[in-house]
Amino acid sequence: MEMNPLKAKDGEKIALMGNEAIARGALEGGVWIAVGYPGTPSSEVIMTLQEFGAEIYAEWAVNEKVALEIGIGASIGGARSLVTMKGPGLNIASDPLLSASYSGVDGGLLILVADDPGPITTQTEQDSRWYGPLAKLPLISPSNPQEAKDYTVIGLELSERVQLPVILRTTTRVNHAIGEVVLGKISEPRKFRSFKKDPQRFIRAGMTWNLERHRWLNERLVEFEKLAESFSLNRVEGNGEKCIITEGIGYQYVKEFLLNKIESGEKFRILKLGLLYPFPRDFLRKALRGCKETIVVEELDPFLETFLRSELLTFGFSTRIIGKDSGHLPKEGELDLEKLRNLLLGGQNVKDRSLDSAVPIEVPPRPPPLCPGCPHRNSYLGILGGIARAGFSRKDIPIFGDIGCYALSAYPPLSAIWTEHSMGASISMAMGLKLSGFEKPVVATIGDSTFFHTGIQPLIEAVNKRVDMLVVILDNQVVAMTGHQATPSWTKTETGRDVKEVKIEEIVQGIGVDELKIVDPYDLDSMVKAVADSINKRGVKVIISRAPCAILEARRKGRPAYYTVIEDKCTGCLACLRATGCPALYVNEKGKVSIFEEDCYGCALCARYCPTKAIVRGDSVGKKD
Amino acid sequence: MGRKINILISSVGGQGGLSLSRMIAEASRLAGYSIATGETLGMAQRFGSVKSFVRVGIGEKVYSPIFHKNEANYMLCLEIIECARNLEYLDTLLGWIILSYDFRPPVSASLLPSKEKIDSSLLLRRILSYSGERAVLIDPKEVREISGSSRAINASILGAFVEISKIFDDSHAMTAIELVLRNQKAVESSRKAYIFGKSLKGIGDAYSPRRLI
Ligand code: SF4
Ligand code: SF4
Repeated sequence: MEMNPLKAKDGEKIALMGNEAIARGALEGGVWIAVGYPGTPSSEVIMTLQEFGAEIYAEWAVNEKVALEIGIGASIGGARSLVTMKGPGLNIASDPLLSASYSGVDGGLLILVADDPGPITTQTEQDSRWYGPLAKLPLISPSNPQEAKDYTVIGLELSERVQLPVILRTTTRVNHAIGEVVLGKISEPRKFRSFKKDPQRFIRAGMTWNLERHRWLNERLVEFEKLAESFSLNRVEGNGEKCIITEGIGYQYVKEFLLNKIESGEKFRILKLGLLYPFPRDFLRKALRGCKETIVVEELDPFLETFLRSELLTFGFSTRIIGKDSGHLPKEGELDLEKLRNLLLGGQNVKDRSLDSAVPIEVPPRPPPLCPGCPHRNSYLGILGGIARAGFSRKDIPIFGDIGCYALSAYPPLSAIWTEHSMGASISMAMGLKLSGFEKPVVATIGDSTFFHTGIQPLIEAVNKRVDMLVVILDNQVVAMTGHQATPSWTKTETGRDVKEVKIEEIVQGIGVDELKIVDPYDLDSMVKAVADSINKRGVKVIISRAPCAILEARRKGRPAYYTVIEDKCTGCLACLRATGCPALYVNEKGKVSIFEEDCYGCALCARYCPTKAIVRGDSVGKKD
Repeated sequence: MGRKINILISSVGGQGGLSLSRMIAEASRLAGYSIATGETLGMAQRFGSVKSFVRVGIGEKVYSPIFHKNEANYMLCLEIIECARNLEYLDTLLGWIILSYDFRPPVSASLLPSKEKIDSSLLLRRILSYSGERAVLIDPKEVREISGSSRAINASILGAFVEISKIFDDSHAMTAIELVLRNQKAVESSRKAYIFGKSLKGIGDAYSPRRLI
């Protein structure tokens, strides 16, 4: 049996995660350039292309804006490209996005943007569907893995035919759902064809012809709507007077609830939309005829509902609209299944079995902690120790955080960072606070990949404007949080491509900071000293706290050691646990600390805090590693 | 008329709960069933709560990748506290619990001042009070000894699940394990764990598991 989803044959049915299905779709759609920046829930698309050896260019870019510009560049030369990112990533890439609609493309360009209702792992519940009307670009939305694959192929085809980039918008429950997918044929990657000098298309800045291009764009959109019809992205199921407009995962929920109802003759009409922008007016005008009541089932913002309300007058008939703006569905959080059920089946005397569910047993929450042996734990302990050693209270010195695993330092016992805002914001926000008149020292902490992504410009700004601050770059040499992707400091990427290492210290020095130190955070004393010495000096001081991500290192090389507790010596004071919060530690039935030896990385940090020296290296007491 | 089977998998990140959901997905596909799973993944760190929904449609298509409270026909648990956390999903009339009773108190709980300590055996008894005899208990230490790996515990749960539900052939389940693990050594230990899981019976011998489903 073929185990490789990228090599499995045409017509085969296999179980794929939505993101794997998009990766497969990219190959079926002839993508030659696949590029993105990691971001949950979008990362597995590029990861799948890399892991299963797609013979195309599939690499991570330094950030989403750069990724999109690479995609645009490839597509104006006639190649087909796929660019992937999560919702907030499209905010970073929005500048090239809005110009891309004026330039248009020659080879198909599909932009995957993955939103995260809940939000489960994202900073906001951003609804990226608004980028359709904002950028005036076609936007399509699949509802399960099969459609995720099919829409990838269709999106590329449509993009190329209409000469506009197409946005493929997904949500977590589609990206991360597994479902059966029937495969199509893989096609030859479409590479460079030609690139002609055409200033009216490719030169934007304040040119008179931009008005003409805008007109061109509007015509293209009309064209797109017609063309999309022939790909059946929108469809009607059933023919009742009670109508439901839905898209994405909402459609799957609706189907689940109504399947039996419709079969037993209940009068529901489902309008399933795959094309969300341009808003399919013609389709809806026909499909909605005769609807007494229209329920709009969508996640996040009332996007379709807003369009529908504004279009209804032009349709020349009225239907009562039920949705979020009408107060029937919440505007926050994932679609609430219970509420949806009541809304759809309400008043029909359906027994809600969830009311009889078991009373949950109360157990303590389990927020994700920093991994055992994670170097970030040491870095923050070093920063907090340095603040104390320099004579400040930790309550007085704000530590600005950034996006990455190290944001978990916000939880006790470290409770280290004060802010975690948007990619690269630590340095610039620290700068703003200083400028506001804050007199004590400030510390900004940022990971290596986030520094590459959007941290360099803020550092330039801080140095240039002579703002005093300590910047700690937490360099674990990988994009850890999203599943360990490459950074520009690698010499070989996941696909085996030889690349030139870009050194953070050279960038930092090039910017002209006042002081640069490179410290190993596992050497906690040096880390404390470095912070204490630098924190109160004038200028921008940078400490690169460098040690590889522990969990990745353990996977690659095995762990260096493991530690164990001599129970007789442990007094149960919990000093080790209170200092580190390492998840390999636990309190056993006797009230003493034990170590899950399988999970211990052997960093020795906990042993350092034990007043009775009860924690020792496993091999030192004759246990085998 | 077909039927749908709802499965909730509860685990601590890193225990193999996501691989287990993937194995059931692959086995379902091999058996020709409809499948939809819903989970949240993508964080590198382990040790957080992980909850995966798995839905299998036999002779019927499943649409939604998630389901409601009180609708899990099976709860597959890799840890006691996580099992307790999600009990409201269990169908309290007919649902089964298959539980590998690893006990991993979260480190954050030990930091709370003067919190009552969690008593694992009390917790276990309370969990079982929801499922009655419809429970299979797996001793994770035994699986480790038999298979030589703690990463194979999920395969023992799969074995117990197949034994009770009878929805898969062993050959499908084993192929699914191979497809997901893609590593000969891991497949070998999982095979042993799977066979061990299959040999286990529900805790109430008076009730034949077959009669209950
Ligand atoms: S994945 Fe790496 S960086 Fe992230 S918490 Fe774990 S050890 Fe630390
Ligand atoms: S040595 Fe201590 S702090 Fe380090 S990983 Fe092991 S248990 Fe955790």
